[in-house]
Amino acid sequence: MKTRKVIRILLFLLLTVLSVLFLAPVFIVFMNSFKGKFYISDTPFEFPNGETFVGISNYINGIAKTGFLNAFGWSLFITVCSVAVILLFTSMTAWYITRVKTKATSFLYYFFVFSMIVPFQMVMFTMSKVANMLHLDNPAGIIIIYLGFGSGLSVFMFSGFVKSIPTDIEEAAMIDGCNPLQTFFKVVLPILKPTAITVAILNAMWIWNDYLLPSLVIGTEYRTIPVAVQYLIGGYGSKDMGAMMALLVLAIVPIVIFYLTCQKHIIEGVVAGAVKG
Amino acid sequence: MKKKLVSILLCAAMISTVLVGCGSKEAADQATDETTEESAADTAEPADDTAQAAGTGKVYYLNFKPEVAEIWEELAELYTKETGVEVKVVTAASGTYEQTLKSEIAKTDAPTLFQINGPVGYQSWKEYCLDLSDTDLYSWMIDKNLAVSTDEGVFGIPYVVEGYGIIYNDAIMRNYFALEDKAVDISSAEEIKNFETLKAVVEDMTAHKEDLGIEGVFASTSLTPGEDWRWQTHLANLPVYYEYKDKGISDTDTLEFTYSDNFKNIFDLYLNNSCTAPTMLASKTVEDSMAELALGKAAMVQNGNWGWGDIADVDGNTIAEEDVKFMPIYIGVEGEETQGLCTGTENFFSINSKASPEDQAASVAFVEWLFSSDTGKDYVTNKLGFITPFSTFEEDEKPSDPLAKEVLRYMEDSSLTSVAWNFTSFPSQTFKDNFGAALLEYAQGSMTWDDVKNTVVEQWAAEKAAIAE
Amino acid sequence: MERTLKKYFAVFTVPTIIAFTISFVIPFFMGVYLSFCEFTTVVDAEFAGLSNYVKAFSNMDFLNALWFTAKFAVIAVVSINLFAFLLAILLTRKIKGTNIFRTVFFMPNLIGGIVLGYIWQLVINGVLAKYEMTMFADAKYGFWGLVILMNWQLIGYMMIIYIAGIQNVPGELIDAARVDGANPLQVLKNVTIPMVMPSITICLFLTVSNSFKLFDQNLALTGGAPSRKTAMLALDIFDTFYGRIGFEGVGQAKAVVFFILVAVIALSQLALTRRKEVEN
Repeated sequence: MKTRKVIRILLFLLLTVLSVLFLAPVFIVFMNSFKGKFYISDTPFEFPNGETFVGISNYINGIAKTGFLNAFGWSLFITVCSVAVILLFTSMTAWYITRVKTKATSFLYYFFVFSMIVPFQMVMFTMSKVANMLHLDNPAGIIIIYLGFGSGLSVFMFSGFVKSIPTDIEEAAMIDGCNPLQTFFKVVLPILKPTAITVAILNAMWIWNDYLLPSLVIGTEYRTIPVAVQYLIGGYGSKDMGAMMALLVLAIVPIVIFYLTCQKHIIEGVVAGAVKG
Repeated sequence: MKKKLVSILLCAAMISTVLVGCGSKEAADQATDETTEESAADTAEPADDTAQAAGTGKVYYLNFKPEVAEIWEELAELYTKETGVEVKVVTAASGTYEQTLKSEIAKTDAPTLFQINGPVGYQSWKEYCLDLSDTDLYSWMIDKNLAVSTDEGVFGIPYVVEGYGIIYNDAIMRNYFALEDKAVDISSAEEIKNFETLKAVVEDMTAHKEDLGIEGVFASTSLTPGEDWRWQTHLANLPVYYEYKDKGISDTDTLEFTYSDNFKNIFDLYLNNSCTAPTMLASKTVEDSMAELALGKAAMVQNGNWGWGDIADVDGNTIAEEDVKFMPIYIGVEGEETQGLCTGTENFFSINSKASPEDQAASVAFVEWLFSSDTGKDYVTNKLGFITPFSTFEEDEKPSDPLAKEVLRYMEDSSLTSVAWNFTSFPSQTFKDNFGAALLEYAQGSMTWDDVKNTVVEQWAAEKAAIAE
Repeated sequence: MERTLKKYFAVFTVPTIIAFTISFVIPFFMGVYLSFCEFTTVVDAEFAGLSNYVKAFSNMDFLNALWFTAKFAVIAVVSINLFAFLLAILLTRKIKGTNIFRTVFFMPNLIGGIVLGYIWQLVINGVLAKYEMTMFADAKYGFWGLVILMNWQLIGYMMIIYIAGIQNVPGELIDAARVDGANPLQVLKNVTIPMVMPSITICLFLTVSNSFKLFDQNLALTGGAPSRKTAMLALDIFDTFYGRIGFEGVGQAKAVVFFILVAVIALSQLALTRRKEVEN
């Protein structure tokens, strides 16, 4: 019994050390965000001292250079709207193609699934051209692009869940005089709620962090956070390491807050998404 | 008086040493004519243009110079406030101008105003370049030969003349020459007239670096990808310049890189006498090097007059304005005692020929405002620090920062021959990037100089061929 | 019901189909077509046969990227799954603080690739600076940098999936094995692993496809330096498209090859592991 206890304590210590290692990179960035830009790249592991400490000037600088506050706004706008649109339309589509069995719907289903394995590079060039020609190269238009790209995974996941719910309730609702739309919104959608949360979380994580798609479709005019971070490196000739560190911290903070408040949903969502995906 | 006349002339003379002989008299006449004419007219005329353009056309400028991106944005805002014409400025990241232009110009809202880097750039973008021969901007050019033109018209107008060389901190140099045990017998930095002397001085300074209070003679040879243009473009210009000169050409499909050893000489000198170990150079940026000079950690840095902002903006900089001096880059070529700075331009404005006529008019009006209105000229001279090739600028409207003054001083010195910017004939950005990557590997010791040389020769031929295809 | 519903085809599916067509279907087929063409913008395409593919395969950067990606994928997939599985086993042993550990290990997964890349660039260059070097001194630093980065990002994610799998193993089964005299290692090998095979399938699938398609992290961490030796497939394709004029067709051809590669690997791997599950 005693050796078991020792083992448990050792394991606990091991996990603690690992946790510290996991958090260390983020902490190092945080620490360096308060140092002058010329003191970062050579000695990143030293605490700021009298000579190197610059207060929050890196933050002021980074925010001003990249328009970070706007970027945060655009990221939020694009993510929230895209996720809402994806949830609404793909759940409807998934319900329809699962319940109505025709050649067309099963073709559609397989096409959606197929799109999941196509790497983005395959379509990036042509897609950004199409988006430009259709004037979708702005924060509102990109929502449509995200609906298109998100539909593969989302339809697949909703369909998987719809298959598992019995049709009785829906039929009962129809007999009671609901038309399909009413049936969907009043009966089906509430049942889909757990899957909807999963789909929302997976899509939100993807869209919030996406770099290539917004940078190709919108460019640097309306920057999202990842585009703003990359813009700081490229857009101002020389990279300002101080502003960079500050921006990295600013990019991480909203994610951490979101994660800590919705941890349960996120972890469940990821597991559910993975099991089905 | 004589000095004034010379200065008016020099804008014309400074770039193409070849053309000075026949062009200067004409240019001078024209210059005096137009300055009087235009200065009377320029308050009224651009305002007319802009009034026409206002409300209909808009300007989208794709900026090439990241270091002055903020100033361009300010200018755009100011212009919009003054005239109501919308001006959008987008800046391409360092080393990515061609690729940004490529993706932007294919869009429905393409840039209306962009820049090409000279005749080679014109070949890539000729479908998009509008004939500018009827614009006022072209008429203001003191030396019309500098424009990118063909029989069909004028397609690129240079807007800034720049010079680069080795910038040094004369205070440190004076300290060195005051040393009793110095190994050279000259007594000031101005007496350095060839590579041999430069090398002797630099190596002796390295031996005395503690006495001089510096960490190295040269600032970091920044080799981070995207930060290596000072070597793969600017320094590389010298061997190419001499090779072209020997062969009497201005472009070639196959570079022999005959002066490769000279490049190696100076590059080794930079690497071995620096405040940063050669293996650490991939973490250094141009801004880092300029800060090292500004903070007195290094005595010399290779860069151009556009780098003044990078020196002046460093907090706690110890360098006095009057101690900031230029020296030509000597690479050990016969007769280099009379070599001047490398002066020229790779910044030519072009107007998108596929933009709507309204947008084209608005873009022309914007640049004409920039180079003729008081506000525009003030920004150009004092904030952008441009030495312009236009007659609309008076004698007292030249940039007054120490580096620009040095460039002007060198250009006025008739005993020196400026080195032309032949790097505008380099085949492509890919060539430059590969060259830079090879230099990085050389600096880190993972590539021999012979391999660097081969890379340059092969890549040059391959990229020239790819473009001709 | 199906019959009434059928009439609502437009209402239920058209918005999704339109968006899907714009952003995927048209670009996909256009992409396949353009890989046989020479073009700079999509409107000036001229048929060029297989020349783009010939150029793609005679391009050293592409072959190098292919090899680099393959090496990276193998090492990343093995290491991530190994560490994630070990952590999952530790975290299902009711050790104090399990919830906090789980929270910490999962967190990096939520940070975007660009941000991750720059974080690790700082850390790795900082470590190498002690030896007077940078990450660009040799391609191997960039390679291992990417491996470490991917481990940091994905271990937590995979661990969560493994935990869910392990928790689903019925306790009685393990007890029964113990009663039969199996030591913990034998229990792991003969009971736990076969039972969590579905989780292993999923994790392998996710890590393989993530490793192959890696782009943001690669762009931010090394950008391909030195001399394009650390560019993975996705980055090489991007650079071919946007880095040089006149190479759009070659870029698109590379993209098609990349797509086929990813599809073949994903499908064969799914088929293979699914079969194993059944056998067990």
